[in-house]
Amino acid sequence: MQQFGDRAQLNSQERLFLSLSEQLSRPLLQVAQLAELAADDPETAAERWRLVQIIAQSSLHLVESYALSLRVSGKITPLEMEPVTVSSLLYDTAGALEPFAKQYGVSLELDPALRMQPIMADRMVLQSAMVSLGQVFVLAQSQSDEPSPVHLNAHRGRYGVVAGLYGGSALLGKDNLRRAYALQGRARQPLQRLVSGPAAGVFVADSLLHTLAARLHVARYRSLTGLATTLQPSQQLQLI
Amino acid sequence: MHVLLIEPDKLQADVYVQALQRNGHTVAHAVSAQGAVHLADEQTPDVVVLELQLPGHNGVEFLYEFRSYHEWLEVPVMVHSFVPPYELARAVTLTKELGVVCTLYKPETSLQNLCAVVAAAKPAAS
Repeated sequence: MQQFGDRAQLNSQERLFLSLSEQLSRPLLQVAQLAELAADDPETAAERWRLVQIIAQSSLHLVESYALSLRVSGKITPLEMEPVTVSSLLYDTAGALEPFAKQYGVSLELDPALRMQPIMADRMVLQSAMVSLGQVFVLAQSQSDEPSPVHLNAHRGRYGVVAGLYGGSALLGKDNLRRAYALQGRARQPLQRLVSGPAAGVFVADSLLHTLAARLHVARYRSLTGLATTLQPSQQLQLI
Repeated sequence: MHVLLIEPDKLQADVYVQALQRNGHTVAHAVSAQGAVHLADEQTPDVVVLELQLPGHNGVEFLYEFRSYHEWLEVPVMVHSFVPPYELARAVTLTKELGVVCTLYKPETSLQNLCAVVAAAKPAAS
């Protein structure tokens, strides 16, 4: 029989895959049980199938993001670098997250700084990372005894444009994130202070950002803490 | 019976609440260990259904706190979790000490099974 400690022998890619598998068992269980409820009560079936659709779409996004990170890092899919306006990227991210957040009763607040310099990035990769991260933040807020909105924010930082998602205060610290990277795929709750479960979206997002030579880091915005990435504004695009 | 459901995922919890209510139980739902203690304080549950993976304090920490109150010592607790049985097997002593009456692995437990197990629980004598 497999022992608990065996997880430590997995390599980083296997650990990410294990984390993703454990994450996906949750929505699949939800779908199975919603179907079980719908079968018993045809009157509410329509509402339950709508919920199944949202759960399936969010899960599909996570799987696709994971696959995209593998394809890009394995050079199966080339990066398509283009000028990206971070505020529009966050706007689209909020749109993609909206149905998921609504089901969990979590509101999204979009507050990107205006007149932000464009950055050069693969838009699809960057947005996939933000949506994956956003799903974790929505879950985290819904699991809080005092839920607060999820903020999508971009602002100028010392080293570039800082784009990320923020929740309630004191959810995260640098040590929590560092420990979470070490525990990813090894523990069932690597980000226990933030959210129950594997929080695979955080690691998938980081894996995607890695292909853009960026990383996730703990960031502060007003009194909130969150996870963000720092992106370099294009000097050339500023001249145009 | 009055069921205290400790389940961090709200969508998942909605499903369990509806299934349990249909079977004639009243349900109080908490997303965290701290919230669960508050709810138990408001109305002592006849049975607790507990997910071990919670944000902040985990399910085992909850159990230690829950069992530290005299009036909740005899309340049956069922672990209903994504933690598979072979991992829980390491904590058999712990679960015995903390009065866990059964452990259910979520991916292998239908709503019907969950409701049947809850219905079969023997509430603590008041």
